[in-house]
Amino acid sequence: MNDAAVTVQDVSARYGPTIALDKVSLLVPAGSHFALLGPNGAGKTTLVNILCTLRRPDAGAAVVAGFDVVKSPTQARRSIGVVFQDSSLDDRLTAWENLEFHGLVYGMASKPRRAMIESVLALVELEDWTHEIVRSFSGGMRRRLEIARALLHQPRILFLDEPTVGLDAQTRQRIWCYLDRLRQDTGLTVLTTTHYIEEVENADFVCIIDHGKIIAQDTPDALKTRHGNRWLHVVPQDEAAAQAIAAQYPGVLKLARNELALPADQGIDTDAFLSQFRDRLKEIRFQEPTLESVFLSLTGRELRDRADGQRAADKSAGRRGGRR
Amino acid sequence: MGMMMLLRGLYAIWLREITRATRDRAQLIGGVSRPLIWLLILGVGLNPYFRGEVYGEVRFVIPYTYLQFLFPAVIVLNIMYTSIQFAVSVIWDREFGFLREILVSPLPRWLILLGKVLGGSTIATLHGGLVLILARFADVTLSLEQMFMALGLMFVLAFGLTSFGVILAARVRSFEGFGVFSNTIILPLYFTSSSVFPLDPALTRAQMVTAYPEWLVFMVQANPITYAVDALRGILIGFNQFPPAYGPAVIFGMAVVFFVIALIDFSRT
Repeated sequence: MNDAAVTVQDVSARYGPTIALDKVSLLVPAGSHFALLGPNGAGKTTLVNILCTLRRPDAGAAVVAGFDVVKSPTQARRSIGVVFQDSSLDDRLTAWENLEFHGLVYGMASKPRRAMIESVLALVELEDWTHEIVRSFSGGMRRRLEIARALLHQPRILFLDEPTVGLDAQTRQRIWCYLDRLRQDTGLTVLTTTHYIEEVENADFVCIIDHGKIIAQDTPDALKTRHGNRWLHVVPQDEAAAQAIAAQYPGVLKLARNELALPADQGIDTDAFLSQFRDRLKEIRFQEPTLESVFLSLTGRELRDRADGQRAADKSAGRRGGRR
Repeated sequence: MGMMMLLRGLYAIWLREITRATRDRAQLIGGVSRPLIWLLILGVGLNPYFRGEVYGEVRFVIPYTYLQFLFPAVIVLNIMYTSIQFAVSVIWDREFGFLREILVSPLPRWLILLGKVLGGSTIATLHGGLVLILARFADVTLSLEQMFMALGLMFVLAFGLTSFGVILAARVRSFEGFGVFSNTIILPLYFTSSSVFPLDPALTRAQMVTAYPEWLVFMVQANPITYAVDALRGILIGFNQFPPAYGPAVIFGMAVVFFVIALIDFSRT
């Protein structure tokens, strides 16, 4: 547990004038479940791409399983398994053929390859679909097959970029259970990126990233204790009420859907507030300290401020059109 | 990285291309119907006109029937289509994400490209080989030795042209764009390769009077496919319009040059 599986030091990356990562440093202890939490566009995928050697950092250094990603990318690649955000299966091949390809490419000999393929297929419960063409698979099945494939060559570190998008709760649960067991048995390190809070509550460490910068990094409990305020979320009935509240409470945060958030612990008398504005509010809700409220405290925004659905639609349209 | 591991990786990439190709019906239909159309319709149709009259005596323009003359060129045409169309597989990998699965693997880039190009060349050679089945119909008799020599040369040609397809793929963003692009490249190259007409009018007295225009001669001579067709004619029907060493030299040259350019392109991704 005291070894570092991944060390990132002052890594920066830019796309033209846009800075994707700004001097990011982090340390992932071996055998841990490490979550990289942040909204879409925060730089998570860029960081994963650097760690799996698909992109070089513009500055700084990253070491994966003891190998520098720039100096010895081949050794680094051998030690990692990656599940990308978008599917990277060949959907004209069968599940077996996809796994066979992967096993061969990672140089696995025939006997252990076959044994492992059968075992990972059983793991994600796709045995009955072994010889079906992937094109007929649902989104969840593809995801499971990809996770199976990433584990096939028994990597020391597993990168999961937004792994559970499109998975039902049951499957998600099963996969996490299995990954936890694998971590205990083999010391596998799991690094996930996500913008779903629920995903990271069980992580050993959470690293919050926004606008290419790391803004907090600790265990979920420590983060909640340190940064997690109770927030009072309200929706004013009209614009006038919103302005009145903003004038009286300068610490108020404006969120999406006309929602306002007041830090309930920081010298704001919520009883006084409620008795004053009760009649002018449509909705009142207290938010207990969660990682969601940690994110709000640290960035002044909600994690899901942005229209996720819209972004996802844009992205898939871009893929269809083939311009990227 | 051990030799065994490299070979396994190479085999995996090659096998994937073959598997995908066998599931692509459209490609297979094209590979079969194209030579049939060219030989049956164009070949049979033009066969009677491929001779001249000298002093009232009917002779072939060159000492072969048009079907025999056309036969090696149709092989080259089939290889050209399949090889250059292979670029679609490269674009597909890039657009649908499979490329990343390959790029995060421990395989070196050159091996990935080599596996892909070998896969594409194998398919193209098979498509070229399909034409050989029609040899008897075109009145071309082949010894086993001729057949193997032809297949060997066809493979090297396919290797070069597949690499060329990969070079194109790196410069074309979409499937649609590539469809148009490939047709505007393949057919002109084919027609100016002395495939459907012999170049040298000096071969017959009858045609001496109607010499080819200068520009056409230049285009034919500058087109590398000309020499590929000539090399196959040399092997299959024993007829060369150029010194026999030119053909194999150009074919091997293309294979090396195009693969190196493709590799430089691919290393940048």
